[in-house]
Amino acid sequence: MATNFWASTHYKELLDQEEVDVVHNLDRERGITLEDFKLIKLQMTNYIARLAQNVKVRQRVVATAVTYMRRVYTRKSMTEYDPRLLAPSCLYLAAKSEESTVQARLLVFYIKKFYADEKYRCEIKEILEMEMKILEALNYYLVVFHPYRALSQLVQDAGMSDATQLTWGLVNDTYKTDLILVHPPHLIGLACIYVASVLREKENTAWFEDLRVDMNVVKNIAMEILDFYDAHKMITDDRVNAAMHKLTIRT
Amino acid sequence: MSDVDHLIAKKVADRYLKREVLGEGTYGVVYKAIDTKSGQTVAIKKIRLGKQKEGVNFTALREIKLLKELKDPNIIELIDAFPHKGNLHLVFEFMETDLEAVIRDRNIVLSPTDIKSYLQMTLKGLAFCHKKWVLHRDMKPNNLLIGPRGQLKLADFGLARIFGSPDRRFTHQVFARWYRAPELLFGAKQYGPGVDVWAAACIFAELLLRRPFLQGSSDIDQLGKIFAAFGTPKASQWPDMIYLPDHVEYQYVPGQPLRALFPMANDDALDLLSKMFAYDPKARISAPMALEHRYFTSGPPPTEPALLPRPPPKRESVDSKPPSDGGGGPTVLSPTRKSRRVMPHQHDHGNERSGPAPMSLDFSVFAARPPARPTINSADRSHLKRKLDLEFQVPEED
Repeated sequence: MATNFWASTHYKELLDQEEVDVVHNLDRERGITLEDFKLIKLQMTNYIARLAQNVKVRQRVVATAVTYMRRVYTRKSMTEYDPRLLAPSCLYLAAKSEESTVQARLLVFYIKKFYADEKYRCEIKEILEMEMKILEALNYYLVVFHPYRALSQLVQDAGMSDATQLTWGLVNDTYKTDLILVHPPHLIGLACIYVASVLREKENTAWFEDLRVDMNVVKNIAMEILDFYDAHKMITDDRVNAAMHKLTIRT
Repeated sequence: MSDVDHLIAKKVADRYLKREVLGEGTYGVVYKAIDTKSGQTVAIKKIRLGKQKEGVNFTALREIKLLKELKDPNIIELIDAFPHKGNLHLVFEFMETDLEAVIRDRNIVLSPTDIKSYLQMTLKGLAFCHKKWVLHRDMKPNNLLIGPRGQLKLADFGLARIFGSPDRRFTHQVFARWYRAPELLFGAKQYGPGVDVWAAACIFAELLLRRPFLQGSSDIDQLGKIFAAFGTPKASQWPDMIYLPDHVEYQYVPGQPLRALFPMANDDALDLLSKMFAYDPKARISAPMALEHRYFTSGPPPTEPALLPRPPPKRESVDSKPPSDGGGGPTVLSPTRKSRRVMPHQHDHGNERSGPAPMSLDFSVFAARPPARPTINSADRSHLKRKLDLEFQVPEED
């Protein structure tokens, strides 16, 4: 299934960065800062990706699940929507809406198997209840576009077939940020190609100039990606744990 | 469910005044309701949660996903969705009848401009879907609903399958098969909007003939019926045919002239029909091109939707008992009316618990069953869906 991006709800739902970077009042009361907020979302992105590997779903499902999770947190607090339940529930819903259903009991099984931390434990019933709440929080908008489909074609067209894996990996990493909530997916894809050409020292200016896209936006996205990688080096388990811990503090 | 959630659910549910049950769908009950906010009559579909503890029904989810993207005058509107008491409820605009009821009602005379109007609305809805890269994949007269002002809208509530005929001798395949394009019957793995256009052509033919045009009894027979009408396709007509997975050689039969098949249609109608029935999906006319065809642009214009003949929305009689067959009772002279989307849910009004349904509730629409038309049961249906659910390959953005 596909539909035209420019006429889609995905396009209409795009937000400004400032709208995404808002810590909900309830979360702020728990001492969760914007940094914590981003760290927790990053942690949950990794959690979704890991679960997805176990239940064997396509990257596209992971990308959709992460997008759902990030969209929910532009509207709902982590206090009300515990990330450790929201993340697997988003994967559950995304698998369904991307037409490769995963059984809830399978998710519950793998969560039990790989996560000793009891706070991650959840029951089938909880996932199903959360599914309904996610649908509501998303305003039932389920169609999400991703950079993947056009990517290999673009990479090839740019004469960078040898960098396909690299570019693909870069795109995967963009889901560790909120880029998908802010920018049209094809521009994210182009930014990843741009980063890849810089990394591979491939001169692609002419190719990019021939595209009818705003290269300033592409360059800005590319800068954000590089910023993310820089910041990522500074992330330690302690920082993540500290942020996650704030979720469990009783207020 | 937290207190806050409960309050919200209650409030949303309070927005709608529940009326009588319209029927039972594969994935839930459908109610008629009044939207107190707009005063509009709506149909609320309550989605039962799956038995296997698998949350929101997959088919329902797909419908929500697509209908949220498709807003068009010729596509059924999903007005709202809300959870209530653990069930998901979908709110649709209320539609009075459907094209199958129109075609089957022998009291209705369809003039050439009426047919033109119904076909135009069908193609407009389809063109919109295709513009959004969505294939309907289940075009048939009873999925084309007709609103109070005669507007035709594409829908696939999945209700048709439940309200189908009680006659189970035919399998699902019969029903959907009649509208299946030859490439699907030959097992095409990749197909495009052409499959919907073929089905629309079958509906066009059905409007002209007042009966389903190609009533095959198996996939093989369906192809046989198609070839008997239009002639076995030659390689020059459809070069890719021989590469289709289930392609088998058919003995050559010559086609019949369209004029002989549709004596009542004019030249423009026949020309459009032949283009919609093109064998090669690549050569088949697209929905937007069909709308620009001379059939629509010249000659008498299509009838205004509001003036289109439709079955009466209500009957005077309040008799709620379906005529018993073989009971030696009086022969019903008036034509049978279709009850496909509605079913007597609860005749015993004393036990009516589905809201403020008055005693004078008109169950007359249930009085007569339509003539046997094969239908789909859910197991068959999911099989069919699977077969049809091959990914529609399209570039995603730009």
